[in-house]
Amino acid sequence: MSSWQERKAPTVNAKTNDEATRVRRFTPLQRFFHGGLLAAFIVQGATGLGRMSVETGWGKGLCRLFGGYESALVLHKIVGILMIAGFLIHMVYLLVVIDWRRFPRMLLGPDSLVPSPRDARQFFEHLGWFFGVRPHPEFDRWGYWEKFDYWAVFWGMVILGISGLLLAFPVASSRMVPGWGLNVALWVHRIEALLAMAHVFIIHFFVAHVRRHSFPMDRAMFEGTVDLESTRREKPAWLARLKEAGRFEERLATEAPPFVRAASYLFGFVAMAAGIALLVGAVINLPRITW
Amino acid sequence: MTGSGKRVLACLVVMAIMWILAAQARAQDEAASHLLRYRDREASTGYYEEYEVMPRHLRAFIEPRPGPADVVGYSPNAPTIRDRTRLADSHYGIRFYDRRRCETCHPEEARNLHTTRANLTCRQCHGGEPIPGSRYYYAPMNPIRRHAYICAKCHQGANASFATYRVHEPNPALLSTQATFPVLFWVFWIMIVIAAGTFLLFLPHTALWGIRELLAGKKGTHREREDQ
Repeated sequence: MSSWQERKAPTVNAKTNDEATRVRRFTPLQRFFHGGLLAAFIVQGATGLGRMSVETGWGKGLCRLFGGYESALVLHKIVGILMIAGFLIHMVYLLVVIDWRRFPRMLLGPDSLVPSPRDARQFFEHLGWFFGVRPHPEFDRWGYWEKFDYWAVFWGMVILGISGLLLAFPVASSRMVPGWGLNVALWVHRIEALLAMAHVFIIHFFVAHVRRHSFPMDRAMFEGTVDLESTRREKPAWLARLKEAGRFEERLATEAPPFVRAASYLFGFVAMAAGIALLVGAVINLPRITW
Repeated sequence: MTGSGKRVLACLVVMAIMWILAAQARAQDEAASHLLRYRDREASTGYYEEYEVMPRHLRAFIEPRPGPADVVGYSPNAPTIRDRTRLADSHYGIRFYDRRRCETCHPEEARNLHTTRANLTCRQCHGGEPIPGSRYYYAPMNPIRRHAYICAKCHQGANASFATYRVHEPNPALLSTQATFPVLFWVFWIMIVIAAGTFLLFLPHTALWGIRELLAGKKGTHREREDQ
């Protein structure tokens, strides 16, 4: 953890004269996993879409980036197995970070990603706020859209991982499932992958980059900190809870050094450009292929 | 060592013991296990004992049999018989046959992943002339030996189960597929409904959200809180 995050109290940074205007939200391990998932997701999307649309010039070009139709599949399988490994490591991580003393009550608590009735209520309150008929809901640590994103990835990993493993080793998997299961697995893999890509490249990018709260980019997952002022408006319940527990001060951080900020923006915008390029290419080319 | 560290260590030890003991437990299970041993010979040969039936899970396809059932025609009117799956030469009697291409009469069958992606020709699986019907007893494409004579040419170790992969897959979206490959039809539509539902909910939601934040401005977006 770098020094600009270690800062305990809202003091003034001696070098840059920055005040503690940010709150730590994600640990380095969480950011590492997000970064790894992000990179793997882009590679899987590019290799998968390239193979899927290899009948078109765009698909051929995408495959050529990875050395051709055959080696794109090799890379797709290797990265897929790495993603499954990452998912299993995430399971171990969950076992470690779960607060077992308050288990299972804490599953419905505010620090948990498990959906609770409050999320449904806040979803409708938020809708009411869109139309100006209700005050803005006071979100806690996780907004309902963030919980949805987490579980979408979670079940997406399970569905894509299982169907992908079946397809990657067809002879072995036909001993466990009937061979026609591979027809089904391929369609499941395709639709789930297209759903995941469209969700990430449209909705996740909009929420994390485009909407005014996070424009031009929410750097939380890259730097680990969020802006104190806008968090105070969006997630007041979380900050209030931190203050009550006396853990607010220790989470305060100053603005990251310029090179960290620049690296965050670079990483985020390259990923966003790649995702949007894939999305546009897929929309143009997928109607032309043999499914 | 911290408390959680000890717990993790204990978990790992238990998992290691379970892993090691699994081999012993496996050795003691029933040889006639439905999933593990029983089907191996049948699945790899495609032969089933007389009192057995082809397992239901290998019969996902309901193939319609048009025309008078099981009529094998070697008569002058053979070309009019529509079920040719048991003929030694399935194209027997078709006029100008040697002047035609496969995809002239089978355009749908020519559109499949083996052809469009792996660049296979029809004959690499279906063989040279005469092309026998798939139910002709001695046909390489007969399901009792299809896996060994056709699939295993490329997919080493293919068994009878593997050979039930449908190369000429019907369009899963069509209602007719509900009759011929219902599992594919239903799984396809369930996945489509999940995907469409996600976007029907979140596209308008996210658009409204963006518009609202844009109109409200960055400062006045949310309720001002004086106490913080």
